[in-house]
Amino acid sequence: MKDLSVKNVDMVYDVPGGTDVHALSNVSFDLEGGRLLSLLGPSGCGKTTLLNILAGFLAPTGGTVTLSGDLITGPDKHRGMVFQQGALFEWLTVEQNITFGPRMNRDDKAGFGARAQELLEIVGLGGFGDKRIYELSGGMQQRVALARCLANDPDVILMDEPLGALDALTREKMQSLILELWKETGKTIILVTHSVEEALYLGDRLFVMAPRPGRVDQDYSLPFAEQGLTMDARELKRSPEFRAKSEEILNIIWEMEEEIMGRTEGAA
Amino acid sequence: MTGSMGTGASGVRDGDTLEMADKLRWSAKFFNSGNDQRKTVTFGDSSAVRSLPLWSLLSLVLVIAFWFLSTQAWGLSSDLIAVPDSLAEDGVTYDDLSDKQRISICSQSDECKASYSQLVSPLQFPSLRDTWNTFGELNGEGFRGITLWEHTKASLVRVLKGMGFGTLFGVPIGFAMGLSSRARGFFDTPVEMLRPIPPLALIPLFILIFGIGDASAVPLLIFASLWIMIIASRSGVQAASLSKIRAAYSLGASKRQLLFRVLLPNALPELFTGFRVALGVSWGTLVAAEIIGSQDGLGAMIFAARPFFRLDVIVVGIIVIAVLGVLMDILLRFLESKLIPWRGKG
Repeated sequence: MKDLSVKNVDMVYDVPGGTDVHALSNVSFDLEGGRLLSLLGPSGCGKTTLLNILAGFLAPTGGTVTLSGDLITGPDKHRGMVFQQGALFEWLTVEQNITFGPRMNRDDKAGFGARAQELLEIVGLGGFGDKRIYELSGGMQQRVALARCLANDPDVILMDEPLGALDALTREKMQSLILELWKETGKTIILVTHSVEEALYLGDRLFVMAPRPGRVDQDYSLPFAEQGLTMDARELKRSPEFRAKSEEILNIIWEMEEEIMGRTEGAA
Repeated sequence: MTGSMGTGASGVRDGDTLEMADKLRWSAKFFNSGNDQRKTVTFGDSSAVRSLPLWSLLSLVLVIAFWFLSTQAWGLSSDLIAVPDSLAEDGVTYDDLSDKQRISICSQSDECKASYSQLVSPLQFPSLRDTWNTFGELNGEGFRGITLWEHTKASLVRVLKGMGFGTLFGVPIGFAMGLSSRARGFFDTPVEMLRPIPPLALIPLFILIFGIGDASAVPLLIFASLWIMIIASRSGVQAASLSKIRAAYSLGASKRQLLFRVLLPNALPELFTGFRVALGVSWGTLVAAEIIGSQDGLGAMIFAARPFFRLDVIVVGIIVIAVLGVLMDILLRFLESKLIPWRGKG
């Protein structure tokens, strides 16, 4: 139904006066609706490029992306995006930010306020509706961004390092919130992260991507996100299975980094 | 109050010390930088420096005192000054004479001239008393039939018209330049060529083309504010971060909605800065334009007073311009805090 299908996607950036950058090469995968996919990999492996293509912000130089069978040609309300930071509208209150999507799409005018209150409660910001964005901490702002995205009831939620700018403690709380939202809403979530731990915890499917050319190197199906719904997060992250997987993936990424370093040194 | 710790850094306070703390805070507001009493390093810390109202008041008082002391005719006696018959017939007494008239009469006799000392003659700069009386006179009968308020209003209306049209044309052009490569290419040349021209250099041309008065003053003020508003709007559009724009699109916004619901409010801080700069330039241009080609307005009043050696009228005009400038700045700052409270935060 809400399945995402990526077929032979290529992305080549023209560099004037230099060699072209192959950001993505022949990426193909299918993602059933309701999965939680995390994208992990060293810098330059095309994670963000892939996310931008899925959102419709970039058109791939080759291949196709379809959602529920429809070709993605540009951004629309079916795929919401949560950015690392700075994407909230400062001139609006928290509540006005959350109702921005429904107001733009002119649906269900009467229900705006009630829906916004409900979403504020869900993301743990009950009573903050009338606050201004600059009055909130970074973690609270990301909660607003999540609520704003959910208000549109998108099929897929894309997150570009949504917790990257937060402190460690806030980050852990937000990870649990994302898991809860995933469980409660049943939405497909695709998340880009730099943190192996986060990728394992928030990925019931996990792609380890490799650079030059950007591609999906490893495709894991993981039990941790499901377990995280019933188990304490810290306990789960301490479990031997989690640590073993973490070690395995870190080794893969280290090898890629070493290879990159070796190549640049060789070139120099 | 027992048990209520943490009302302040010092913990529990009784009523007396609270009251004292309030007094201290009040006095700190006027006399010293109080807020940073716990800071040990303040010299060089710009955040510990602010404008203390009492010292601002002091400089104002000093200027007025200096004005008074330097234009005062010390030792001038009413006995040595005879009110001319022509004036005495109308019931004018010594008290009614202006300082300038007194000195003029006094200078006719050597005895009187030797009797007083004065730093600045009222023929060179009007005394405080004369200026104050002239202010009343200009408000009542006016200068050459036009009251001070009418002059002020004429100037204000011109500035508002110029700024209004400048903004009306400037913002759409600036937005177009920020949003479309064709518009950028098309407008870049005229904007960059016309922008450096000082508006004052165009006064003769504008008077010949449009005539005198509002006909040339308003176009001149549009010229003065247009380029500033164009540049401000252009950079305002460009200030929107890519993630904000992408967020709006993926929330379902159309191009039109993006323009009016995201780009426009997001550009408000830059537009405001542009408006303030344009207002300053417009005001300066206006007075010069009125001096040359207008019958009314503060600039015209100042210039018309010159052939009559009415220094008092000139000084009143200058003071009104200065006060209006301060008032406009206060108004704009107030509007800014209401309209764009997020500026400089987060």
